[in-house]
Amino acid sequence: MRARIAAIEALSPAIKRITLAAADGTPLPTASAGAHIMLAIPGPGRVWKNAYSLVSPPDARDRYQIIVRRVEPSRGGSAWLHDHAAAGQEIELAPPINLFPIARRAAKHLLLSAGIGLTPFLSYLPVLRGAGQKFELHHCCRHAEAAAFTALLPGTGEAITLHSSRNTLDVLHLLARQRLDTHLYVCGPDPFMVAVLGAARDLGWPEAKLHFESFGGATGGAPFTAHLKRSGITVAVAADQSLLEAIEAAGLQPPCLCRGGACGECALPVLGGVPEHRDHVLSPAEHAAGDIMMTCVSRAKTPELVLDF
Amino acid sequence: MDLIVKPAETFRGAFTARNSDAAILRFPFPFNEDGYMYAVNIEPHVQSGPTAAYDAVFDLDEHYVGECEDRAMVLEEDPLRCQVLPHMLDAEWDTLELLMENLARDYPALFTLTKNGDAWRWVNKPLGLDQSFIFGKTETLPYPPFEYITRQVQGDFTLQDHRDDNLFMDGGMVTSQADWSLNFDLGMSFHEWHGPVPLAHELGVFDRALQYLLRLQNGKPVRRLNWTLTVNPRLDTSPENYPVWGPDRLTITPDNVGEKMCLRVELQTLTRLPRSNAILFGIRGYLIRLEELVRVKKWAARLHRVLRDLPLELADYKGMLRYRQTIVDYLATFDDGAVLNSGTAPEQDRL
Amino acid sequence: MSGIKSRPLYAPLHLDPAGRTHLIVSDLQELPEGAIETGAAEVELWLNGNPIAEAAATGTLRKFRATADLKTNLSHRLQRAPVGLRLYAVGTEAFLWDINNIAAAAGLGPGEIFLAQAGSLRRRVYCTHCKTMNEDVTTSIVTCSACGASLFVRDHFSRRLAAFMGVAVDAEVPGEVPTPEVLYP
Repeated sequence: MRARIAAIEALSPAIKRITLAAADGTPLPTASAGAHIMLAIPGPGRVWKNAYSLVSPPDARDRYQIIVRRVEPSRGGSAWLHDHAAAGQEIELAPPINLFPIARRAAKHLLLSAGIGLTPFLSYLPVLRGAGQKFELHHCCRHAEAAAFTALLPGTGEAITLHSSRNTLDVLHLLARQRLDTHLYVCGPDPFMVAVLGAARDLGWPEAKLHFESFGGATGGAPFTAHLKRSGITVAVAADQSLLEAIEAAGLQPPCLCRGGACGECALPVLGGVPEHRDHVLSPAEHAAGDIMMTCVSRAKTPELVLDF
Repeated sequence: MDLIVKPAETFRGAFTARNSDAAILRFPFPFNEDGYMYAVNIEPHVQSGPTAAYDAVFDLDEHYVGECEDRAMVLEEDPLRCQVLPHMLDAEWDTLELLMENLARDYPALFTLTKNGDAWRWVNKPLGLDQSFIFGKTETLPYPPFEYITRQVQGDFTLQDHRDDNLFMDGGMVTSQADWSLNFDLGMSFHEWHGPVPLAHELGVFDRALQYLLRLQNGKPVRRLNWTLTVNPRLDTSPENYPVWGPDRLTITPDNVGEKMCLRVELQTLTRLPRSNAILFGIRGYLIRLEELVRVKKWAARLHRVLRDLPLELADYKGMLRYRQTIVDYLATFDDGAVLNSGTAPEQDRL
Repeated sequence: MSGIKSRPLYAPLHLDPAGRTHLIVSDLQELPEGAIETGAAEVELWLNGNPIAEAAATGTLRKFRATADLKTNLSHRLQRAPVGLRLYAVGTEAFLWDINNIAAAAGLGPGEIFLAQAGSLRRRVYCTHCKTMNEDVTTSIVTCSACGASLFVRDHFSRRLAAFMGVAVDAEVPGEVPTPEVLYP
């Protein structure tokens, strides 16, 4: 769907909040707490598809807000959003998807974030507060950015603690004293996630109570080519395109149904090359044999595949 | 969308429910080939299809008032036919919003929804309801939000919570089911509530379907069809009331099979709900008497072939062993053996 | 009716090395030989039995006059316990799922509760028609204690109700009831 950039605010030298509205002014789809959107960001010669957590309240259908940190070295979609995006521009976005939802059966929610990892929790807070749910948020950030994050966390107090200098958060103590009805949510840079999740596992937290943001399951990957033997054509599969989409873009009508690797309809025999399987249809033995593949999700481990189609 | 709602008719007792010619032609006939076996027959729920039953997101038809009245009667006898576990409250409001918005858009002559911030007003003309309420405030509705709205829609609904890489049936409005119990199945995981279905587990159908549904996206609902046979156009064929409807199965004779035996089709839709991340499963049932169905030539011949060749386990599971041969003999008189086109469209525009 | 997949499968128990504390509960008088491999780890064991006679026993063993007493104590205990606890239940199937539901209410979930069936195979059977629970059923068909229906005991199991499904066996032809067989001694 087309969106219009309605506002850009600098929260710190490296952090901007961007407000998006539907280009045609209609209400946006309701999101759930923890959802992200995918933005198609125009770059020189290519398009970046970047995922950003929504920080606006899930019920706010007049706008989507995201917070973008400028990543060094400066390249990629986030740099474009910092350097080139301007209010009034239009941009393509994919509707919200939630891979980091609130566990609704938990009696208490313990939220731990660091840096820009705070973003999904900004959509949690109004929902948890609205439902009267018990929660505790600890956010860690650099001292220089403390003011920016404080401004994003109105109502700090007993439930919300900002840790802006080293060693003020005793993770082990915090995790060890939680009761059995608490779920843990972690979002931040890799070292932070590894440290927190490692401590939790050492203390006997079960996997079912550990929640962390992960943008797995992406459809893209390295580009490759596929030679369609019976059709006598070769298609180039771009990094952000599925093999199925590339075949369709060449004007052919390959079999397909679910487009999600589940129904098995789009299976094609592989005559050459090694597929990288991402489906849920074929058995491990069939994956290993590599002579059939699901074009809707699977890709290639070799630069070229030859398919019987 | 034009929709003519009949005066109330009954799906019990005298069984006055009948399908008009238009209703027969819009029936979602389920067999696109001459044989039947389980498959992950899921496809995007787009608003088009072989008959008009696919034209709306939530399909209503001429039986709307009669079916809503039948539902109210079932709930009066057995309130546990509608239950939602407490952690699903957001999913209840999601359901109410989804159904009200779609009904008001697809059937503007029958329903209107007016919003002023959180203050909503819902008008249901066929049932004579005019309700003002505050969205998100359960106490402003006469029933909890899920029950309130599903009392006003044809078909059963269940709510699936998405957690631990699985789906759990943590709520439902189930008054017109094909022999399964909400109170017994409530809280079950995906494989547990499908436990009694034969053969499909071994085919891996449920493993694949679950993986697919866990990836179901907001704004991209999907659908599938399921079917069984029911004696009389009875909506409530629940295990709870098996002693009420079970004896009907002995009443089928060659003389009455066309009138009494019904093909029951479920147009099942699956929609990701936005706030709760839960999945709403709609089970919209359609009943058609065989004597109505055979007026579509292709459907008569195809149903004959499917039932004649159905594997024994499936015929047993669908409870048709007592009268399968009677049905096949009846349908055989409408099957000249000619090759039929694949697909489910009726291929005739009048009866 | 065999082949129904809602029926829980029980694996032999072993202590979960990820747990920090371990509690084993049972509705039996003592744990069957080999019911759980505890190794050298410190575990707490709650059993059915006479608590007075065992008063001097080690602090890691508690006995309760009845499973009702055990369940009440468990609920109280779980509400105060910190994360890291692993709960193991050994016993009849209805007991196992009652324990599971008590634990779930206190917040325990997958990876924190482990169940193993031991002792009698008798079943708790839910009457689909009148919603009554029939305890200690050993036969393929049972007469509902409340409504008198002849219930066929299906292999369909509800963890929430901790019970098997009972459906009238003679609904289509009233009075046509096969002879019950002892299947769950």
